[in-house]
Amino acid sequence: MPTYLCLQRSLPADPPSEKPSPDEMQAMYAKFGAWMETYADQLVDTGGKLGEGRLVRAEGQVDGPFVEVKELVGGYMIVSAETLEAAIAVAEACPGLVRPGSGVEVIAIDKPG
Amino acid sequence: MRDADDPALFRRVFTRSVALLSRRWGLHRLAEVEDAVQAALMTAVERWPRDGRPENPAAWVATVAHRRLVDAHRRQAAVVPNDVEPPLQPLSSGVLGREIGDEVLRMMFVCCDPAIPIESQLVFTLKVLSGFSVGEVAAHLFVSTDNVYKRLSRARDVLKSRRGLLDLGPEQYPRRLDAVVLVIYLVFTEGHLASAGDEAIRVELCREALRLGGLLAEHPVGRQPKVAALMALMHLHASRLGSRFDGVGELVTLEEQDRSRWDRSHRAAGLRWLAMSAEGGTLSRYHAEAGIAAAHAMAPTFAETDWERIAACYALLERVAPSPWHRLNRALAVAELRGPEEGLALLADLTPAPQVTGSGAWAAALADLHRRAEHPASFVAYRRAALDRAPTDAVRRLLERRFDA
Repeated sequence: MPTYLCLQRSLPADPPSEKPSPDEMQAMYAKFGAWMETYADQLVDTGGKLGEGRLVRAEGQVDGPFVEVKELVGGYMIVSAETLEAAIAVAEACPGLVRPGSGVEVIAIDKPG
Repeated sequence: MRDADDPALFRRVFTRSVALLSRRWGLHRLAEVEDAVQAALMTAVERWPRDGRPENPAAWVATVAHRRLVDAHRRQAAVVPNDVEPPLQPLSSGVLGREIGDEVLRMMFVCCDPAIPIESQLVFTLKVLSGFSVGEVAAHLFVSTDNVYKRLSRARDVLKSRRGLLDLGPEQYPRRLDAVVLVIYLVFTEGHLASAGDEAIRVELCREALRLGGLLAEHPVGRQPKVAALMALMHLHASRLGSRFDGVGELVTLEEQDRSRWDRSHRAAGLRWLAMSAEGGTLSRYHAEAGIAAAHAMAPTFAETDWERIAACYALLERVAPSPWHRLNRALAVAELRGPEEGLALLADLTPAPQVTGSGAWAAALADLHRRAEHPASFVAYRRAALDRAPTDAVRRLLERRFDA
């Protein structure tokens, strides 16, 4: 099955959403666990949030970040699905991923052959 | 109850981490600490399903939040030097092991600072010790979020001004005990009001009060008869929480409640605590209220209720905490014993404030007494007032049912 890269995007133009309360976070935790179970077969790599890094260029390494990377791409995961639409469905079902202030870019990974 | 099944796990973890970290970072940084713990909980939401839930969730969250605070301060220190040295060392496992429970209790006493008005103490308790958000606190107390923010900032301002006094002196604990007991009682009574709002929210508040009371009662400073009396009254009232609505969701009177649905383990716990409260020379209002709750809990049927005991408890309550409501309740108990005329006679010399006599509950009680005493004119007048002022449709329907029987 084809695989898709899902990049969590922070969307600062959206109005800021309220920070969830502990009770709301517990509900998200339960939903997240349930989501992972439901789509277990399709979650190739549940990835994680992105942290510090470096830009490696021919001229040498540059200590970043020049741009606050995690504000553009908060995290990633890799999903396998028959079609882009099917991959989007998995990503959309992930609790908290698509909400005011956050979206997800779902990108096909072209493999040779 | 296993952690996994605890519907308030995240709130408990929030409270424990905030208590621990504000001890380390100082009360004047309380807001920062709360933000860091909230962010750490968000991280937990993502990590725990992947990595498995840690053995000690509060320790995990406190550690992550602490690191976040350290990083933030390091970045800031590069720009603005800190006047007070923040604790940049990692948390040790010794700290995380034993101290968390004690820290929560300490926080309870800290927030019952005499300089903080009682409404602010209540809101602060619900926010920091129960882990509700501002919106949730507002919903629980039926006030606006603005109101909650105001009360919170009042509490925070006082605590900020206490900077440097991270420790409560040992003499503060007994001095503040009454205030702590009162706040827990207020959380419970907010939860217990049957007349308005979402039942699930209310039950949550009663559970919180029981949890906080339990923490207090287990600690040496809380081993006092009045604390045991508070635990008794909360458990005994809680035992009846499930039966105030009938099978189709209509409110029912005490007389109509299906007593087989009263929770036995709460009742048993309440009676144990009641026994423990029967010590010492003084009776508190909590003793009187526990006595009333016990009289109801021990009556197998409404008809077998010990109204004499209840009347005596209300008389005691009137003495230690004078209020027209206590007199009214005594009048209702006396009416059960010796008829409605006697009950009404008890109210004859009372001149309560307009906000009391103008309330729906007062009108409803008087309507019922006049109905039973067969005073048609008074009954009709009070009935109208009671129905007009009923706080919810459910209450209005209950009243209509009872009056028009």
